[in-house]
Amino acid sequence: MGDPSSVPTFEFLGLTFNATNIISGLVAFILVFLLVFALSRKITMKPSKGQNVLEWIIDFTNGILKGQIPGHEVSAFGLYGFTLFLFLFVSNELGLFIQIAVGGKDYVRSPTSDPIVTLTFSLATALIAQYMGVHKLGYKQHFKNYLSPFVFWLPISIFEEFTNFLTLGLRIFGVIYSGEMLLKIIGEMAFSHGIATIIVSAPIAMAWQGFSLFLGAIQAYVFLTLSSVYIAKKLEIE
Amino acid sequence: MLAHLTIVPGVGLALGDMLFFAICFIILMWAIKLVAWKPVTKMMQDRADKIANDIDSAEQSRAEAAKLAEQRQEALANSHKEATSIVSDAKKQGQEQRASLVAAAQSDVQVLKSNAQKDIEQERQDALANAKNDVADLSIEIASKIIQKELKADDQKALIDSYIEGLGKHNES
Repeated sequence: MGDPSSVPTFEFLGLTFNATNIISGLVAFILVFLLVFALSRKITMKPSKGQNVLEWIIDFTNGILKGQIPGHEVSAFGLYGFTLFLFLFVSNELGLFIQIAVGGKDYVRSPTSDPIVTLTFSLATALIAQYMGVHKLGYKQHFKNYLSPFVFWLPISIFEEFTNFLTLGLRIFGVIYSGEMLLKIIGEMAFSHGIATIIVSAPIAMAWQGFSLFLGAIQAYVFLTLSSVYIAKKLEIE
Repeated sequence: MLAHLTIVPGVGLALGDMLFFAICFIILMWAIKLVAWKPVTKMMQDRADKIANDIDSAEQSRAEAAKLAEQRQEALANSHKEATSIVSDAKKQGQEQRASLVAAAQSDVQVLKSNAQKDIEQERQDALANAKNDVADLSIEIASKIIQKELKADDQKALIDSYIEGLGKHNES
């Protein structure tokens, strides 16, 4: 039942690390890797069970990217999109299954319920978008896009970049964080007044877990879709 | 430095986490690329190529089969035509042979008939010639007998009669 203000932190090389994030992040990374590793064991021309699932996920993420990014630039983002989607999906759902709190402090939960994690990925997307813009159009054309439709648009363009970065990260954080918060509140309610509240809360908790499961999947999808939209926007001359 | 910045009250902006997640994500991407992404996408590409190839080759073999069927049809029609021509040739030949055989037989018969006629004629001629010779011999004989015996008219008459009688018998025979 840890509340978010009580996370274990430590300092290392002058940087603050959040132990909860690191532990749950590691769990999510390992889960993603094990999932992909298990699914890709026997790769044959005629796909078997695991390979079918893996190819379906690859087709799914590639489809999202292809819907936004024009031409053959898509292939450069295939791996990024695939890994990002899987990691976000697993992270979003992780907190629904495992929440470990020791001494009032969370140790394992959804990594994406911390803004610093989601902002890391939105920052990565923003950086990739900038890099690809420069790579495809060259510095001159890339920065000229900030001045369109006219020169005085520049502050708004810069502001838009910043808001894109923030909203992309905070959207997924908000959904997952609030989902976990509500689950915790329902849990507290269940144990507040004995048997009666447990009976009332159990179906609510189940319903909310199911909904969160759905939201987690949707948020992973939305994150990848918006990432590809932002990247695609940098690839064309406005 | 930035550790005191907060987005959610009470949660420090732990920049170390950012670094940790960035590095871990890159490692994960690399691991997935090594373990799954490369072989799977390669296999998917291979499969796409194979399917395209299969479609092409199927199209090709279909065209080939159609060509073969056409050839067979043509050969069948040809063989029909050939068979009828062989039969009609044989018929014609048979008719010709028959006609020629009949003609040959007819000519043979003609030759045989004419030969027989010729033979008969020849025989008659021979017989006539023999008769003439006989008559001449007899005449000579008679003449010599007449000369030798100084025959009388009666004797001569009787002789000639008897001769002519003999001649007649001779001719009849």
